[in-house]
Amino acid sequence: MGKWSVRQFLSNRQQQSFVISLGAFCASLLLVALVCVLGLIALRGSDYFWPRPVHSLTYTDMSGAEHKVYGQVGMGKVSSQYSAGIERLWLIRYSDAAYPFGNQLILETPDIQHLAVAKEAADILLSDGTRVFAKPVSVDMPGQSAQPLTALEQARLQVDALQQDIEQIRTQYLAPIHRRLAELDIRDVDDDAPARERLSREFKEWQSKVLTLETQVAEFRLNVQFSDGLPFAIALNELDQLNYTGQLNVWGKLGVAANGVWAFLTESPKQANTAGGVFPALFGTVLMIFVMTILVTPFGVMAAIYLNEYAPDNSMTAIIRICVSNMAGVPSIVYGVFGLGFFVYMVGGQIDELFFSDRLPAPTMGTPGVFWAALTMAILTLPVVIVATEEGLRRVPDRLKAGSYALGATKLETIWHTILPIASPGIMTGVILAIARAAGEVAPLMLVGAVKFAPNLPFDGEFPYLHLDRQFMHLGVLIYDGAFHSQTDMRSASMMFASCLLLLLVVFVLNILAVILRKRLRQRYLRGY
Amino acid sequence: MLKLFEREQLDLEGLSPEQTAIEVRDLNLRFGQKHVLHDINMRIPKNRITALIGQSGCGKSTLIACFNRMNDLILNSQTSGEIVIEGRNINHKKENLSLLRSQVGMVFQRPNPFPMSIYDNVCYGLRLQGIKQRRQLDDAVERALHEAALWEEVKDRLFDSAMTLSGGQQQRLVIARALALKPSILLLDEPTSALDPLTTLFIEELMGELKKRCTIVIVTHNMQQAARVSDYTAFLHQGELVEYSDSDTLFTMPDKKQTEDYITGRYG
Repeated sequence: MGKWSVRQFLSNRQQQSFVISLGAFCASLLLVALVCVLGLIALRGSDYFWPRPVHSLTYTDMSGAEHKVYGQVGMGKVSSQYSAGIERLWLIRYSDAAYPFGNQLILETPDIQHLAVAKEAADILLSDGTRVFAKPVSVDMPGQSAQPLTALEQARLQVDALQQDIEQIRTQYLAPIHRRLAELDIRDVDDDAPARERLSREFKEWQSKVLTLETQVAEFRLNVQFSDGLPFAIALNELDQLNYTGQLNVWGKLGVAANGVWAFLTESPKQANTAGGVFPALFGTVLMIFVMTILVTPFGVMAAIYLNEYAPDNSMTAIIRICVSNMAGVPSIVYGVFGLGFFVYMVGGQIDELFFSDRLPAPTMGTPGVFWAALTMAILTLPVVIVATEEGLRRVPDRLKAGSYALGATKLETIWHTILPIASPGIMTGVILAIARAAGEVAPLMLVGAVKFAPNLPFDGEFPYLHLDRQFMHLGVLIYDGAFHSQTDMRSASMMFASCLLLLLVVFVLNILAVILRKRLRQRYLRGY
Repeated sequence: MLKLFEREQLDLEGLSPEQTAIEVRDLNLRFGQKHVLHDINMRIPKNRITALIGQSGCGKSTLIACFNRMNDLILNSQTSGEIVIEGRNINHKKENLSLLRSQVGMVFQRPNPFPMSIYDNVCYGLRLQGIKQRRQLDDAVERALHEAALWEEVKDRLFDSAMTLSGGQQQRLVIARALALKPSILLLDEPTSALDPLTTLFIEELMGELKKRCTIVIVTHNMQQAARVSDYTAFLHQGELVEYSDSDTLFTMPDKKQTEDYITGRYG
């Protein structure tokens, strides 16, 4: 017997078709996995925005008592150990007099007496993110109670106007007076000084005005009725949206969903990240990635230029190259620990001691923040940029360098005017990979600056406008947080998937931008080479 | 035959310093252990075309690269001996390479325009010298392109990418790029070997025009070309200067057996 060989079993043609089908199988498997991931995320994520009709439900509880509620039916089947032998478990979120702001209910099919879309009932979204399912009955206005529902729009406009008045008084009158009073406190002015008394009097006047306005606002109410007829009142200034979801056709639902997407993108999270929008997290993610790109690109490019153009061709350079490649394989949490230990505690602590010693022991820079997070991410993505840039630098033809030197250019001028432009598509490739990696990392961020909830954005109207020392919210951390939400609460669970979808979209958009830029650079600098 | 008598002959041994563009004295060059050029001594006359011929690997491209010290870019290259251009030894370690290379322009075998506009290509050297004024640059670009006989073809698309030009145009652009710096010497390293015969003829005619302005040293594989365009020819063999005389003598009555063998095609 000779040596075992593939030729004994398969002819040349068969070998080829075998390799092709195996390759195609692997590629299609990958494609299917990708489609599944995207499909699941898109399906569950869009559930956060798609309005569900409000149903009226009659069911019997364990003791046999009958209840009538308004609620929404959750999607999909709920499986649990009790579900064996039972057709279907229904997941229902309902409102009644005991739980006006919603409660969960899991029902077996036999318990349901009656379930039908309730056209008269509305899905009422409050400004704190909670929902009430009830039938609107009438509107209360100051001096005119129980007006018909047609007055709702007008009442809301009046409430808005009043709210604006209150806000104006607060910012234009109360805040300055308060500040002046605080200044008096600092200067140790006597309690009975005329200036202080005058200010206090003014303050009280404005405050009483605000109070009257607020009581006026509180008199605007929406009266609603639950399914069993019990009444409930909702203050109009707390009302965010009111949709008769049972009456909506597809276009109406699309409109509501579009509103929801807009609110998701522009509002802050509510109810401990289980409702509302994700704007601060979106902003934090994009800001962190931008700062990281600004930090990592020059460092990576300079390192690559040194390695490719200046470093002698010896074992030391080879060792540096190996180290750079190995850096790409270090687990990201290690970088997080490094960032916390080195950047936050050591560098930040030193900066505090040197420049902000008057504020100690409260740390200024010696605490996790968006800058340290971006710096840590920059270190994490540095190898990617270095390797890709070196690849681009190696592709610059020698004759172009020679042409530049022959015109009297020094090495630095040749690098700046000739090598870097031609290597720029390679640099962009590195930046794309860095962005993709940085946008997806969560673990190191939780150590160096990302938090579940940040009270302020890292950007506001106060000097110096961009506060890179602040902690920030990040979509990845929000998703991590969202994964621990109750999976039986349909809305809050789907918020996690919606955030996933948004994170994918952010990475996708940033990548597309970089790819377009790279294509333009290629056309400009690499045509004909 | 008429042409033969038209050429004014100079005594290469007895060139006065005013007539000499490049004087090479005892030039030796090594790449690491490899001894590439052996004791080269030659004087290249001003405003003439001097051709370097010889087999591949005989060191003619290395010799021409010595004249603007492009060999410095090669690791482990060691040069000894003197090369005197404009009265100074350019092999001195304090030689200002930027200045030298603006005085001694070089054109390579394959056209190597930079991936930028035609205008920016011609301005490259000038901008390095710190010239920023638009009018000055415009004038220099027009003059250089005229000298390289390219102006008429590109005057309407100066700001198009240089990569859109044809091979011959690219090579003339590269010549214009060197001429923009007003060099006193132009080194051409096999400038036509990547071009078609017609374009080659065009460039050869151009050389005849250019020698009024500067000294031209050309490396070529093509002996007809050397005989056609050059006033003087040097034959190199294995790093040694075998024979150096006016082209008519060298190609009709060579002194040395090696030269005769080479030009009659017995080797090389």
